[in-house]
Amino acid sequence: MTAIASLRRVGLPRLVVHVSVLLICIVWLIPTLGILVTSFRDAGQITASGWWTAFTGAAETSAARLGEPSTARQEGANYVISGSVFEGGQGGTVRAFGTRVAAPTEFPAGQTADIGNGETLTINEDGSYIYSKNAPFEGRGKRVYLSVATPPSFTTDNYRTVLTSQGIGQSFVNSLTVAIPATIIPILIAAFAAYALSWMEFPGRALIIAMVVGLIVVPLQMSLIPLLRMYNEIGNFFGVPSRSYAGIWLAHSAFGMPLAIYLLRNYIAGLPREIIESARVDGASDFEIFVKIILPLSFPALASFSIFQFLWTWNDLLVAMVFLGTGKDQLVLTGALNALLGSMGGKWEILTASAFITIVVPIIVFFALQRYLVRGLLAGSVKGG
Amino acid sequence: MKASFWIGTALAVLLAGGASAQQLKFPPGQDQRFNWKSYEDFKAAHANLKGQGLTLFGPWRGEDEVLFNSVLAYFNAATGINGRYSSSENYEQQIVIDTQAGSPPNIAIIPQPGLLADLAAKGFLTSLGQENSDWVKTNYGSGADWIRYGTYKGKDGKEAYFGFPFKADFKSMVWYVPENFEEAGYDVPKTMEDLIKLSDQIVADGGVPWCIGLGSGGATGWPATDWVEDMMLRTQKPEVYDKWVSNEVKFDDPAVVGAIDEFGKFGKNPKYVAGGVAAVSSTDFRDSPKGLFDIPPKCYLHHQASFVPSFFPPGTELGTDADFFYLPTYASKPDLGTPVLGAGTMFAITKDSPAAKAFIEFLKTPIAHEVWMAQSSFLTPFKGANPDAYANEVLKKQGELLTTATTFRFDASDLMPGKIGAGAFWTGMVDYVGGKDAKTVASDIQKAWDGLK
Repeated sequence: MTAIASLRRVGLPRLVVHVSVLLICIVWLIPTLGILVTSFRDAGQITASGWWTAFTGAAETSAARLGEPSTARQEGANYVISGSVFEGGQGGTVRAFGTRVAAPTEFPAGQTADIGNGETLTINEDGSYIYSKNAPFEGRGKRVYLSVATPPSFTTDNYRTVLTSQGIGQSFVNSLTVAIPATIIPILIAAFAAYALSWMEFPGRALIIAMVVGLIVVPLQMSLIPLLRMYNEIGNFFGVPSRSYAGIWLAHSAFGMPLAIYLLRNYIAGLPREIIESARVDGASDFEIFVKIILPLSFPALASFSIFQFLWTWNDLLVAMVFLGTGKDQLVLTGALNALLGSMGGKWEILTASAFITIVVPIIVFFALQRYLVRGLLAGSVKGG
Repeated sequence: MKASFWIGTALAVLLAGGASAQQLKFPPGQDQRFNWKSYEDFKAAHANLKGQGLTLFGPWRGEDEVLFNSVLAYFNAATGINGRYSSSENYEQQIVIDTQAGSPPNIAIIPQPGLLADLAAKGFLTSLGQENSDWVKTNYGSGADWIRYGTYKGKDGKEAYFGFPFKADFKSMVWYVPENFEEAGYDVPKTMEDLIKLSDQIVADGGVPWCIGLGSGGATGWPATDWVEDMMLRTQKPEVYDKWVSNEVKFDDPAVVGAIDEFGKFGKNPKYVAGGVAAVSSTDFRDSPKGLFDIPPKCYLHHQASFVPSFFPPGTELGTDADFFYLPTYASKPDLGTPVLGAGTMFAITKDSPAAKAFIEFLKTPIAHEVWMAQSSFLTPFKGANPDAYANEVLKKQGELLTTATTFRFDASDLMPGKIGAGAFWTGMVDYVGGKDAKTVASDIQKAWDGLK
C-alpha cells in the first residue's frame, strides 16, 4: 500500500494544502489561458465558438458561392459550371452540402443531388463541384451550404495587426517615459519621509502619519479637475504647455506617495533600534544613517513598492489621458491599444493580443525584482524583524 | 545586461512599425463624383491661415478615426492648418474635465446634444451665429429639426446656435439577408401590420424572426431605447415625442407605456426572439446581428442603426449579402408620415480661433461630406452633397431616406438628462425584458427623473 504510506509520510493536512493550492492556481490560470488561446484565433472563429474548442477542430456550417453564370461551358445539351468551393478561402473536408438554408446538410458529400429546375449539383469531399443545368444559367453565382470539417487553425495575424499599427512604437516609448520616472521619484521622496517619520523625533509626527494614512483613501478621480486646472494656470503663467511629462510624473508621484510613505515607514520603523542608536553614538548624521544603514536594509520594501508603482503607472489609462493628452504622439500604450478597438469596441482578437503585448514589460520587471517581493510584502506586518 | 538588450530589441521592432504621411485619399480634380470646385473655392478663401494649429476631440476611434482623418487631411491640405484629431474611450468625461480645467480642444465633436447643452450652459461653447444656423436650415434635410438639436441656452440664459451637425446615423431600419428571404419566399413588408404578419409567418414556418441583443457592458439596455423611440414615432405625433424628451409628457404617460409595449410585442414574445426572451438582455448587441448569417439562420430580422454592418461577418457585401428596409409605419396611422429616428455628431467650438471658424466653414463644403460618403459608415442630410458619391447602394438608400424624411427626430435617450437617457432608461429596459410590466418600468424611470429636480 504505497499510496497510504506516502500519504502518511506527507501528512493529510499538508496534502490538503497542496491540492488546494494547485486548484487555486489552475482556477487563476484558466482565464489567462483563455485569453492566450483567443489571441491566436481569428475574429470569425472567436465569435463562432469558444476558445476551449480551438484544439479539436470543428465541423462548421458555412456558405459558399458557385461560379458566375459567365464561367459556364456547354457540354452537349447541358451547361456546366465547375470549380472548388474553397477558392480563395481555407481548405477543409466537405461532409455534406445543401442548397436550401433551412436544410444546409441535405446531401452527403459526393452524391449527385437533383435540385429541381433541371439542375444537378455534386460537391466532393475535397470541395470540387460540378453544377449542371439543361438550360443556360442566369443571375448571380448560386449560394450553397456546406458542412465542413476544418482542422484546428491558429494565426499570428492579431499580433501582427497590433504590433504594426501606426504609432504603437511611439506609445511604447511614451509609456516607458511615463512609468520609469513615475516609479523612481515617489520612492526617493517616500524613503526620506519614511525615515524621518520613524526615527527623527519632532512634534506632530503622529499627526502627520495619521494624515498620510488618511490620504490613502482619497480617490484620485476626485482631484483630476482641480489638479489639471492648477497645471493649466501654472503653464499659462510660465508660458509652457500644461500637458507635459513633468506634469504626469508629478501627478503619479503624488497619487502614489501616501501608500509609499505608509509602506516604507512601517518597514523602516521595524528595523532594529540598536543599529541606528549605535550609529548615532558613533557620530553618524541622520543623512549618513539613511544612506549607509536604512537604504541597504530596506531594499526589499523599496523593491516591492517599485513593482506596485510600476505596474500601476504602466497599466494606467485615465491619468495619462488627462495629464498627457489624447493626441496620437502623446498616447501611452494603454491608450494606443484602446484606440485600436474602434468606437464600438468588441474586437476580442485585438483586445486579447494587446493584453499579451502589454504584459511583457511588467513581467520583465516582476521577474527582475520578484525575489524581493515576498520579503517586501511582509513590510510592516512583522514588527521588530 | 541581458534584459536591457531584449528591451532594446523589442523597442527597435516596435518602432519599425510606424512611419506615416497624410495623403489625400482621392486626388483632387480626378473623380467627377466629387465637387472639386468647392474644394478649390475653400482653398482660395482660406489661404491666410497657413501654419496655425487646430485641435479636434471626438468619439471616433479605430477605423472611424482613420476615416475622419482622411476628411481632415483635405482641410489641412487646403488651408495649411495643422489640424489634429484625437479621441479617448471616455470622451464624454474627458471633454468635461478639459473644459472645466481650462485646456479644451478647439473643436469638440459630441454625439449627445444633452451633454453639449450642459457645456453651453456653463459658458464653455462659442456660438456659431445666425449665419450658420440659417445655412443648416436651408441646406440640410429636415434642417429645422437639426437646428433645434444644436441650439442651447448659453451662460447668459439666451438661446444660441452652438452645434453644427456633421455625420448622421440612421436608426429606423431592419436588416435582413435577401437570399434567405428569397429562398423562403418572404417579401419586404411595407407596413407595420405586414411586419407582424411576416414575423408570424416565419414562426409558422418553424423559424425565429428576430435577433435582439441589449448587452453592451455598462450601457446594457440601450438598443431597446432605440426600439421604444422608433415605436413612439410610429404611434404618437412628433410633438408628443418632443414633450416626452423634455418630460412635459411624463414617462409613465399611456403614450410612452404604449410605445414600450409595442417593443414588447417583439422583444418579449418568446416565439419571436432567437434564444428566447432570457437571451435578449444577455446577448451583446455586437454579436446579435451574426444570427442573421448563421446557417441555418438563427433569425431573419434585426433592428439596428446604420453602424451595424461593421459587425457583420467579414466579407459580407452590403446590398447583396445583407440589406435593410425602413422600419415600416402602421397603415392605420397614415397621418404620422414617414418618421426617421436618427442621431448625429455635433461639432462645437470649445476654444475659438480663426482656424476653428475655418473648419466649420469647411464642413459646409460638399467635398467634406463626399470624401467620407465615398468610403463607409457615413450619412449626411446635406442636400448639396452628391448622392452618387456614396460608396454603395445601401448607404445611398439610407442617405435618401434621411434627406427625404418628413420627420427627423434625434435619439431621445441622447437628449434626455444623462441620469435618465444613459441610466434609468437603459436599466428600465433590462427590467422590462426581464419580466416587469411596462407600467411599473415607466413609473420607475419617471421617479428617477423626478429625483433630478
